[in-house]
Amino acid sequence: MDTFLAALFSGTSRGAIYALVALGLVIVWRGAGVVNFAQMGQAMFSTYIASTLIMHQYSYWIAFFVALFAGALMGALLDILVMRPLSNKKKSELLSSESMRAAVPVIASLGILGALQSLAGIIWAAEERGFPAPAKQEGFKIAGNVMPFTSFDVFVIATVLFTLFLTTIFFQKTGMGLAMRATALNQEVAKLSGIRTNHTRTLSWAISGAASSLAGLLVTPTSNLSPNTLDLVLIVGFTAAVVGGLDSPIGAVIGGFIVGLVISFVTFYDTPEDVFLSILALLVLVLIVKPRGIFSGKDARRV
Amino acid sequence: MSNSHSSSALKKSLIRTIIFVLLILLVQSRFDAYNQAQLALVLILFIGTLSVTLLTGISGQLSLGQGALMAVGGYSSALMMINLKLSLWVAVPVSIFVSAIAGLLLGITAARLSGPYLAGTTLVIALAIPSLANRFISVLKGDEGLPVDVGYPPTWLSNLLGEITYEQWQLYLALPFAALALFVASNILLARTGRSWRAIRDHESAAALAGVNYSRSKVFAFVISASFAGLAGALYGLRGLVGPSVYPVSLSLTLLTAAILGGIRSIAGAFIGTVIVVFLPDWIELAIGGFEVSEQVSNFLPGLLSSLLLILTVVINPAGVMGAHRHKNK
Repeated sequence: MDTFLAALFSGTSRGAIYALVALGLVIVWRGAGVVNFAQMGQAMFSTYIASTLIMHQYSYWIAFFVALFAGALMGALLDILVMRPLSNKKKSELLSSESMRAAVPVIASLGILGALQSLAGIIWAAEERGFPAPAKQEGFKIAGNVMPFTSFDVFVIATVLFTLFLTTIFFQKTGMGLAMRATALNQEVAKLSGIRTNHTRTLSWAISGAASSLAGLLVTPTSNLSPNTLDLVLIVGFTAAVVGGLDSPIGAVIGGFIVGLVISFVTFYDTPEDVFLSILALLVLVLIVKPRGIFSGKDARRV
Repeated sequence: MSNSHSSSALKKSLIRTIIFVLLILLVQSRFDAYNQAQLALVLILFIGTLSVTLLTGISGQLSLGQGALMAVGGYSSALMMINLKLSLWVAVPVSIFVSAIAGLLLGITAARLSGPYLAGTTLVIALAIPSLANRFISVLKGDEGLPVDVGYPPTWLSNLLGEITYEQWQLYLALPFAALALFVASNILLARTGRSWRAIRDHESAAALAGVNYSRSKVFAFVISASFAGLAGALYGLRGLVGPSVYPVSLSLTLLTAAILGGIRSIAGAFIGTVIVVFLPDWIELAIGGFEVSEQVSNFLPGLLSSLLLILTVVINPAGVMGAHRHKNK
């Protein structure tokens, strides 16, 4: 029973972070038609910025918000400097073929990932460093028993839920959110009805950048910070997004929790070595049974 | 397809291969031991890059899991050499076959996927496959890996060519395989298979209407590409060790970078890209030789530069180095 509770709690807390990563992927996929494999590279970079600020005696919260802002800025810059010029090249020989149109932005995002990781290595050295948590990482004590649930876990889940709430409000209740949903639905029609699709695209990159930086800030206290640490988080987040449906923000969030729980139960009841194999099995299973993901809409892209 | 057409493709591929082998032999005779080893590495990775060129450039499927297929080739040949005491001349060809089967399984799954779905799934595979080494630790020896090497050159060859250094032997061993890979790839590109792959790449439904069985073609492209990757992986392992650290995810990305830099649709591009990726650290060292640079910078500079080159190529000149050179069968 104790193992079960521990697996459940740790899975929920981890799942919240994967939900955030998956949400970041879904926002850029819907807004710009790109799966951004550089996402956790951006998160790693802004977490390093936060870590450097903390080492220079700034408070955790200043570092926290600077990192979120840096993540958003980086996302916007990547869109303006790399992805927008790329999509203007639709007539080039390489992008003229059906299959490569989807592949080339992926390759560009991998290049960005490599560049960010090498740059972080040059600036901050490759050695791992820790990253502080804003709340205690010791289990709650109930009647003398240490529970497998910490104040930091509560902080993680609360922050993620609050972020999801804000994102939902933004997309459903604001004019800008409406414009972004329209662009995701049909770019040409959105353009014709006066929406500046270039702006909404850049904005979705910025929002996704901030969300993934948040995920980086929340995941590093329990692991360590190095240029490559967040690669695995990206893979897991991608699986979560595909499980829930790349088109569906709600699906991404639920997918995040599903994947978090799967990983946690495999770790507790089996061995950590099987985690990747179980992720792969889950991914392949979903892609074979329901390729559009569990929660994707009817008009999803054919795969 | 007429016979004369395919025989002209054969002839063309044969001429290309002979020129390639002669050039390599000529160049290596002017190299010192270090650069000979580097050139051997180029030949091995060239086979891996060709696997990307065929799969992504010609058939239009983006895979980030070529490193995992290399691991399949490496482990199967190492196991045969260590446990069955087979010679590498038997183990390496059989490992190509084993990788082809892995490619078949992967291709059947992958034929349903496209674009980012395929890229993401193969990336997960690239991570999951090396972790099998720790799952089956009694056979695959976990992180420690399986030590294998190229051994010593046979005496008849040394009698023929005089004394052969270890680096030269690495090179002589990789050369016939690289030549074979070049010959097969060139043939595929020039003949019917390549045409049907290009057709599914450019327009799936049009290709299907023209009578190309596109799911079979996609799976076949995966099988061929996996055979190339497996061969490259087997030779790569023979450099000393087969283990999870030898086939990291970054290996898949290195191959992709090489293929893109040179020109994703061209065999010559695959070779040029591989040369760039392998020799870039040496060139950087030459360029910054006069300056005081910390180890930290010199370690990460090649990665930074090749990533920036990759981004610039994709954004500014997507057709790569060989893009300026337009050929009939693009």
